[in-house]
Amino acid sequence: MNAPIRNENLQLLNGNHAVAWGVRLASPDVAPLYPITPQTPILEKLIDFKSADLLGTEILTPESEHSAMAAAVAASATGARVFSATSSQGLLLMHELLHYAAGSRLPIVLFNVNRTPAAPWGFWPDQIDSLSQRDTGWVQLYSETPQESLDTVIQAFRIAEASELPVMVNHDAFYVSHAVEPVSVPDQGAVELYLPKVDRSMWLDTDIGRAIGAPIGQDGWNRTRREMDAAMQTIVGLTKDAGKAWGEMSGRPYAPLELYRCDDAEVVFVTMGSMAGTAREAVDRLRESGVAAGLVKVRLFRPMPMADLHAALADIPCALVLDRNYSPGVGGVLHQELMAGFYGAENAPRIFGFLTGVGGTNVPVEMLEKLAVDYRQAKQNNNPIWVE
Amino acid sequence: MLEIVILGRGGQGAQTAGNQLAKALFARGQFVQTFSTYGGARRGTPVTASLRADKNPIRLRCDITSANAMLCFDDSLLNEGFLATGADDALIVVNSAQPPDAFKAFGNRRIIPIDGREIARRNNMGKVVNSALLGAFVALVGQPDIETMCAIIKDTAPAKVSENIAACREAYGLAASQLEVS
Repeated sequence: MNAPIRNENLQLLNGNHAVAWGVRLASPDVAPLYPITPQTPILEKLIDFKSADLLGTEILTPESEHSAMAAAVAASATGARVFSATSSQGLLLMHELLHYAAGSRLPIVLFNVNRTPAAPWGFWPDQIDSLSQRDTGWVQLYSETPQESLDTVIQAFRIAEASELPVMVNHDAFYVSHAVEPVSVPDQGAVELYLPKVDRSMWLDTDIGRAIGAPIGQDGWNRTRREMDAAMQTIVGLTKDAGKAWGEMSGRPYAPLELYRCDDAEVVFVTMGSMAGTAREAVDRLRESGVAAGLVKVRLFRPMPMADLHAALADIPCALVLDRNYSPGVGGVLHQELMAGFYGAENAPRIFGFLTGVGGTNVPVEMLEKLAVDYRQAKQNNNPIWVE
Repeated sequence: MLEIVILGRGGQGAQTAGNQLAKALFARGQFVQTFSTYGGARRGTPVTASLRADKNPIRLRCDITSANAMLCFDDSLLNEGFLATGADDALIVVNSAQPPDAFKAFGNRRIIPIDGREIARRNNMGKVVNSALLGAFVALVGQPDIETMCAIIKDTAPAKVSENIAACREAYGLAASQLEVS
């Protein structure tokens, strides 16, 4: 966790306002936005900045999230830097256009606040909204803290523009989106150096006759996916470069995976988003009681940094995957990804999948400590395990 | 680590109070984390604000289940479910015109009623009780100090700045004298 240093010039910001600060510093040309709990404070803060003449971005407020993403696609196709934000139902309403954005190779950055989808209606932290969009061709990053959300939204533009793939950054409802904490806001000049405007390989221009996304034959369509595959192969490297350069600029480096006390660990938690914070606390308590525990935080989920995961878990006998999501009929999505990624691997750890905090239920430190103690020497079990 | 839970009804200012308290503790050099949870953003529905303060950066991202101190904006919301999120010896400040004996049904807990509504009325604050409750809370919890709390209220009160500060100071004095008696 990249905690800000106490003697810096810190602001108390909630996670959503930290995102808005990151967007202000990245200075997109266009931001089509539609409000939805618990994303709305991102929109509100950007409009505050705009009203105070602190943001040059053209903000559009269309009538739905579907239209917001359609506007984002159109704006991005002209070569503009584009940002949008949403949550839950809003992301699901965007679904059709998520495919469109990725297929058109548009480097849009979208911030999603992870919230339970209906039905039943709810407002609670749960990642199934974005995880169910994993096959749309968007890069996906998950953030643990308001500071990481600010830092990551800026890195996301760099990754998107270098790969010409859209990037979705996610943080959990309430535990991050509404958590007010000390946040270090970087200098505008430093961010401009970090994130220079780059020319696109292809854009729409009224002076040049071009089309994007027009009907195409089978072979041509097939080739677009091969090209997307090649672009996806660059993402782990681009994420590392973006995180390293951010570290050199701000003192807070990032990587696709974050490893905490994994050296000599006999059991590690593997998770994404806010739960990593609580897991960190559980690791320290377990270590104090003599259990060699560690944490692998998955920051880049799509594409999954599988080679890095293999290296991280090479000498670790037991991995406990904590999923704050549930794919009905399957189990936890991160659990499934790890099971698939380690299939047939030599010296693979025993992998357990726990459904913890589905629907936003509380996951206290003690629950995680107990899982490590109970399962560190248990036999492999492929079935998802509901935890209360 | 200091863990505080604030419970109010939407529109009463529980979330604002949590943010103001966090700012004051932060100004005194602590790391803080405060978050609120609510259903639909409607006036009148219960809203919880949670606050952690510590000398180290705060990593926990889960609910508070053993608060050291609690602040309840409305005695009609005081129930076992809310009290269960506090430690057995948690200090519980409740906005109520009732005497301490009225809360005997909750057993051997440290429930301290403060008539925030009356203090607010005397200070021309109408029904807005959060500054008064913060003053009482600061006196009873012992941190942050009242001067820092008033400085934060001065910076953040949307209107009636001097009235807010006067209500905060009056409640602080009342609660401090109550502490001496008990």
